[in-house]
Amino acid sequence: MIYLFFSLTAILAFVTYFARNRNVSHVLVFIYLLTTIGLGFYLAPRVGEQLNEFFFCDAIGMIFYIILVIVSLVSAIHYIEFVKDRNVKPAVQAMHNAGTIFFTGSIVGVLLTSHFGTLWAFTEATTLGATVLIYHNRNSESLEATWKYLFISSIGIALAFAGVLFLGLAGQQVKNVDFTFSTIKHLSDQLNPLWLKACFLLVVTGFSVKMGLIPLFNVDIDAKDVSPSQVGASLSSVLMNAGFVAIYRFYEAFSTTSILPWMNKLLMITGLISLFFAAAYMLKVRNVKRLFAYSSMEHASLVMIAFSCGGLGYFAAILHLIMHSLVKSSLFFQVSQMHRIFNSKIDENIGSYLRINPLGGVVMLLGFLSIIAMPPSGMLISELLMFQTLIAKSYWWIAIIVLLLVLVVIYGLAVRMLGIVFLKKHGGTINLKGASPFESIIQLSLILIVFYIGLFRPEFIVQGINLAIKSLPV
Amino acid sequence: MINFLVIVFIISLIYVSKVEMVKSYFGLLALQGVLLFGLAYYELKAGSVIQLLFILMETLVFKAFFVPLFLRRITKNKIHRHAHGPVKGYYSVLIATLIVVMSFLIGYFLHDELKTNADLQVKYFTAATASIFVGLFIAINNRDLVTHLISYIVIENGIFLLSLALGSDMPMFVNAAILLDIFTSVLVMGVFFNRVKDYFQNLDTTQLSQLKD
Repeated sequence: MIYLFFSLTAILAFVTYFARNRNVSHVLVFIYLLTTIGLGFYLAPRVGEQLNEFFFCDAIGMIFYIILVIVSLVSAIHYIEFVKDRNVKPAVQAMHNAGTIFFTGSIVGVLLTSHFGTLWAFTEATTLGATVLIYHNRNSESLEATWKYLFISSIGIALAFAGVLFLGLAGQQVKNVDFTFSTIKHLSDQLNPLWLKACFLLVVTGFSVKMGLIPLFNVDIDAKDVSPSQVGASLSSVLMNAGFVAIYRFYEAFSTTSILPWMNKLLMITGLISLFFAAAYMLKVRNVKRLFAYSSMEHASLVMIAFSCGGLGYFAAILHLIMHSLVKSSLFFQVSQMHRIFNSKIDENIGSYLRINPLGGVVMLLGFLSIIAMPPSGMLISELLMFQTLIAKSYWWIAIIVLLLVLVVIYGLAVRMLGIVFLKKHGGTINLKGASPFESIIQLSLILIVFYIGLFRPEFIVQGINLAIKSLPV
Repeated sequence: MINFLVIVFIISLIYVSKVEMVKSYFGLLALQGVLLFGLAYYELKAGSVIQLLFILMETLVFKAFFVPLFLRRITKNKIHRHAHGPVKGYYSVLIATLIVVMSFLIGYFLHDELKTNADLQVKYFTAATASIFVGLFIAINNRDLVTHLISYIVIENGIFLLSLALGSDMPMFVNAAILLDIFTSVLVMGVFFNRVKDYFQNLDTTQLSQLKD
């Protein structure tokens, strides 16, 4: 079944590339997304099962698979309006839609593979898919961002591959080691810790470009800025999740070894430095898309910090990623609408948004409240759990530093976003036809899901996350 | 024989760091491809025919023939001298040599950590480390896109050497996926290289600085 899905991905991407009729091109993407939904139904009763030699379905893969389907579907709906508004050439649209199919298929591969080699191959494939999506606008800025993303990402992924090979060197000391997660986890306490440390360091460095963390975050920010908003939404949500899952696979496999405290320290340092950079840049940026891109970096940092604490922190990290994916993609989608109305993404040119586009303004306002973890946003729960874990582990200084940096981030976001929503500062022409209540309602639904999670803490989500972290040390 | 091939490969790395004429890169990359084939052949000749054919494809066809030819084609022989970075001339050789010495030291200290066939593995490991770091040095030290592409391929060659230390542990399906990914990324980079060249009429990366905060 899974091979059939990947064959269909390749065929549909190929056919879509040559489909120059706008409607046919859109329909092909939706057919593909229906296929992913179908695969989801096939996978749901098989959680915890090995599907074949290279693929399996586990709880964490399934959680982010559901997020992938939701965000991709909403993204495809938004792209229809984007194409109409920008009068995108049929060839460009065909390329973008083919890229969307390839990108989505690659992420499915990252989420479902049970082999470190194929995990690497699918992660590299996401780079190629993302490259096509980032280049959409065909101007000097998109060319610059695409080149930088492709080059830096390729180097990062090459370093991650060196990490996989170090794992192989470690594995050679034990007989009959293959590169499947289960075998490595089973034998990891017999593997040389030095090679495992080298492996994990290179993997975190390499996949940092996918999660938007130090050291390779710059190209990720540029990519989210210049690509169409729906692409920025995907990079900030599903690709970030894929990067997390890739790192999680290595972490889980090595979690029973003596290097666990070292891995936690590495993730904590990565998270703290990334949070510092995100906070510093968020005070400076005027471009709304870059602001949201740095906000994604901030949340990726919080996820890493929470995860590095272990225990409740694991739960907090995954819950935070789920909700961040929904809120951040909504905000990116709304920026597209804002751009249609004001023809700008610089905050100084955008104001009185709540008056000009009331529903869009509500999305921005509720999105802002969600992203800064104000009640009833579900992100409040994950952030509280993170601080609770930090304090329980007696990481007082780290908790204080994180709290201060988060306050800086909230200030940076509040100044820009509240100004956009309430302040009158626009001097240029406004295109009221750019407002789309239909799009805003979809975005609002995503944010309301996060509020629902915050208010009611649905049992299936709690159980799903608990199942995902069951194999990690307490 | 393996010693000879590894040493020639390391010398080629030092030369890559000093190259000023872009066309010299293509010959060096082809040479590295042939050397990698030689090393892979000696390492894997006891393996299956399919695996040997695969390695032949990866090294001789892809690394020694296709990539240099492709790069030569996209630069259309019009680019002769590449833009330098902060470290110039023989200082680059000095730094590349230091990287090689450092790689030997790392290899020496890690010898005991490689328990299976350690003497052989450490040779590949040393050359691989040198190749990855020289590739990174070239990428940082040069401002033009051609050299950035070359640096990526030098890093990839280093990774290939590292995979030789593993022998035939990776399944064929994974090897094929990895080769396909690398092949596609070089192709895609080539396509974008051409677009950047056409758009900016210049290959200096200082032109690519519009995106700032």
